[in-house]
Amino acid sequence: MVSKVDLSVRIGKLELPYPTLMASGCYGSGEEFEAFADLSKIGAVVLKSVTREPRLGNPMPRLVSTPAGMLNAIGLQNPGIDWYLEHEVAKFAKRPCAVVGSVAAFSVDDYAYVTERLAARAEIAAIELNISCPNVGSEGETFACDPDLTGKVVRAVRAVTDKTLIVKLSPNVTDIAAIAAEAERAGADALAVINTLRGMSIDVHAWKPRLGNLTGGLSGPAIRPVAVLAVYEAARAVSIPIVGQGGIENATDALEFFLAGASAIAIGTANFTDPRIPERIVDELGAYLAARGLQSLRDIVGKANAGFGTPFQYEGDAG
Amino acid sequence: MLPGPSVHDVVVLDRTELARGVILLGFYAPELAAVTSPGQFVMAIPPGGERAATALAIYEAQGERASLLFFVCGARTRELAELRPGDKLSLTGPLGNGFTLESARDVAIVAGGVGIASVLLPAQRLAERGARVRLFYGARNSELLVDRDRFASAGCELCCATDDGSFGHHGFITELLAQTDDKPDLILACGPSPMLRATALVAAELGVRAQLALEETFACGVGGCWGCVVPLDRASVQAPKFPKTGSGDYVHARVCKEGPVFWAHELRW
Repeated sequence: MVSKVDLSVRIGKLELPYPTLMASGCYGSGEEFEAFADLSKIGAVVLKSVTREPRLGNPMPRLVSTPAGMLNAIGLQNPGIDWYLEHEVAKFAKRPCAVVGSVAAFSVDDYAYVTERLAARAEIAAIELNISCPNVGSEGETFACDPDLTGKVVRAVRAVTDKTLIVKLSPNVTDIAAIAAEAERAGADALAVINTLRGMSIDVHAWKPRLGNLTGGLSGPAIRPVAVLAVYEAARAVSIPIVGQGGIENATDALEFFLAGASAIAIGTANFTDPRIPERIVDELGAYLAARGLQSLRDIVGKANAGFGTPFQYEGDAG
Repeated sequence: MLPGPSVHDVVVLDRTELARGVILLGFYAPELAAVTSPGQFVMAIPPGGERAATALAIYEAQGERASLLFFVCGARTRELAELRPGDKLSLTGPLGNGFTLESARDVAIVAGGVGIASVLLPAQRLAERGARVRLFYGARNSELLVDRDRFASAGCELCCATDDGSFGHHGFITELLAQTDDKPDLILACGPSPMLRATALVAAELGVRAQLALEETFACGVGGCWGCVVPLDRASVQAPKFPKTGSGDYVHARVCKEGPVFWAHELRW
């Protein structure tokens, strides 16, 4: 019964059998989870971001547990694009799912340079542009926090690749719809909404912040309502697909994002609870749609205001 | 297919409170027990599903039974402590690179507090093949020096220390190690970071190589998030082969993936 429901999604030129992406920075290159999760039952792995130069990353501690979530400040630790192309990328061909490269940089030129080289590789199905990392000083989020800079970087990257370009937006902005619209105008094929929220946790015994980087990015269920709203607002501003993400732990959470306007979802922090969650979400989404006689996940995308005939429909407040 | 790490659905066989807040949970877990090496750990998936998984050392692994020994210190370990025989739990593992026992004939094992959870398996394996094993075991007080008999019956010689002097040497366990005239040919250690650092210093003074099982906060536990790194000499065999970064000749290795056990002389901490 479940198998008849069509869960496939199209994101730019990328066709995925399942609408579930593994969020960048949470899933390594996929290999790390292969013994614990069935990668043939996920849509795609979004790789950890790669930069032009190697990066050592932030000092420890890099993780703090918080109510209904966690703060992280890894600081884009990665071996740099030269090493990455020579030693890492060939291994991605073995994955039983699509592999999406993630690019981070500190200048428009470097975004274009790294993207051009990475996207040229056949193992990389699409590129996610990480213009919203909150953990590398003030420069990290500069691009995603300003519509003009977002447009500039997306245009530069668009000029160097025809592969599907997913632009990852920051929630740490006043008007995400304006930035989403600018990314679309500049040539983005899709948007990833949202990256982590900036946050801090302080040790009251030591009188100092708990993270080595002082500040971090908040993820997990704590940010889910923020993410759902961001998807809802971005979806109304653009016609390109949105990959919704932020605290998704089960199919019910995922449905909120689809109804808000996401065409696909990404799962990050939940993989740290149980690596079987992505597969469970796919099964439960199929069952949810089948139980309502729906043929395709596409039938519910953005339908948060459509209403579904239940006998207990909320009438709203009088007046 | 060769058995390897996976997600194991296990059933609690027994639960013992070894001391106040110190829990030993035994599981029916034949597959996990069969593939576990000394010093490896599991990520215990929370029964309530609302928190990140908890990294715990595998204490025993024999036949059809594996066990975890932990101190209750927060919401996650409290939840695990509430499990009773017959309850189900999922464990991801075994994970990480454990101790390299080599062909050592005379081994000193240093354990502090809950660090004891990582060292029963190496102690048993070493004793089984006829090595001399001395356990240097320290804790806050005598009550927290849990499960000493099991080590004694495995054939270990015990040297104990407590912070309050209620049992054994009154002071740090590494002070006892430093006083030994009888030099071991390998040191293994697990415990709080200050104890591990002291062990590394003592080992260097004795001229004995030491392997340290580090404790760190993990998110994924499988090498996917880079949240648990430690500076490691770049030339180290355990270091991921990464390009030189910045001016230092070290890399950030993952405690969960390249570790949790590292050679003391390769750590740059």
